[in-house]
Amino acid sequence: MNPRPMKVDGRRLRSERTKQLIIEAYLALAQDLSPRVPTAAEIAARAGYSVRSIFERFPDILALQVAAVDYCFAQVSALAPPRGVESDRETRIEAYVQTRAQTCERWVRLWRSLVINQGDSPELKARIRLARDRVTERMELMFAPEFALMQPEERRQTLIVLEALTDVESWARMLEFFGLSVDEACAVWVQAIDRLLPETPGGAA
Amino acid sequence: MTAAGEGMPSASATPDLKDGRRLRSARTRRLIVDAYLALLRERPRIPTAAAIAQRAGYSVRSVFERFPDLHALRVAATDEALLRASTRIAARPATGSRSARIRVHVETRGETCEEWLPLWRALNANQGDSSELQSRIRLIREMVVKRIEDVYAPELSTLEPCRRRQTVLAIEALVDFESWARLRGLFGLSFEDACAVWMHAIDRLLPGTSADC
Repeated sequence: MNPRPMKVDGRRLRSERTKQLIIEAYLALAQDLSPRVPTAAEIAARAGYSVRSIFERFPDILALQVAAVDYCFAQVSALAPPRGVESDRETRIEAYVQTRAQTCERWVRLWRSLVINQGDSPELKARIRLARDRVTERMELMFAPEFALMQPEERRQTLIVLEALTDVESWARMLEFFGLSVDEACAVWVQAIDRLLPETPGGAA
Repeated sequence: MTAAGEGMPSASATPDLKDGRRLRSARTRRLIVDAYLALLRERPRIPTAAAIAQRAGYSVRSVFERFPDLHALRVAATDEALLRASTRIAARPATGSRSARIRVHVETRGETCEEWLPLWRALNANQGDSSELQSRIRLIREMVVKRIEDVYAPELSTLEPCRRRQTVLAIEALVDFESWARLRGLFGLSFEDACAVWMHAIDRLLPGTSADC
């Protein structure tokens, strides 16, 4: 009786692997073609499967997009953990900016594609909102000493402004449009965040 | 009898007729552009030729008589938007105290974002390989930067070049169309509250000057 579950597990594993390869093919194409959404035929060709295989695993391209976005979120969390949370103000600002810049640099094309193609999809809109919420949560964590002294409304306003400042497209513009290097773009953010945050309690900490 | 030549085609009547036709054609063109802009504002989707024609009160053929394709219409709509936005800015020069200048800058920018966000999004979504649309996106961004440099010249002049550029770019990021969209849409702020957020932030980003008041 043992071979049967193993066979089923093997099938499930292969199916999961296929699903994963389709997601990766979609992401690679979305990155290359951004902001155009790749077609099912293009994704199938890239993944090395048939179009039918794609629609056996995802009811439509939107479902595949959603799965791909979730996969990206997991990657962002894994690749960009918070650093230097307990450090002094200058180190925290620099650590935040470095991490955020790396994330923007890596995901800008996919983010652009997601934003432009969200259409009326509540699933994609929810994920865009979730991504923004995560940025805000990260800033609350990194700049907790400064935010601790602020009134709730002032804190909210500062977070809104910092989120706008460190938006993915803001990063892209600095590099693509204004021609800044990565270091120069980071310096813009560091200087601006320093000016927007209130003084750190206890001075230099 | 009427005066000589009245009611008959004459050398002087022909240009009038032509002018009349030209005026009507320009009016039709403008109504088509307005219809395109109105549809964009109502629904965040690229309007079809049929929808534009219906909204403008003309036939699809009329649309394509004035614009060879929808791309040409998009370019014309963008130019119209640029003209109107420039007129709005020129009508409210940002002069006076620091706080007065910040207020005028932010309010006019907020109004511009409020009015032109749908077009801006369509422009970005459709730019593709179009050099005409790309050049207009660039022009709009350059205008935003120039405006920041002009309005805050007294404060920016106190900074060394690198710091000045950093400050200008930070303000540019802040007053971006999508930043405004999030203030109004995602965070649900009123026009006045959204302006207040920008004004407070710009005030913090700018250096203090001895002439502050």
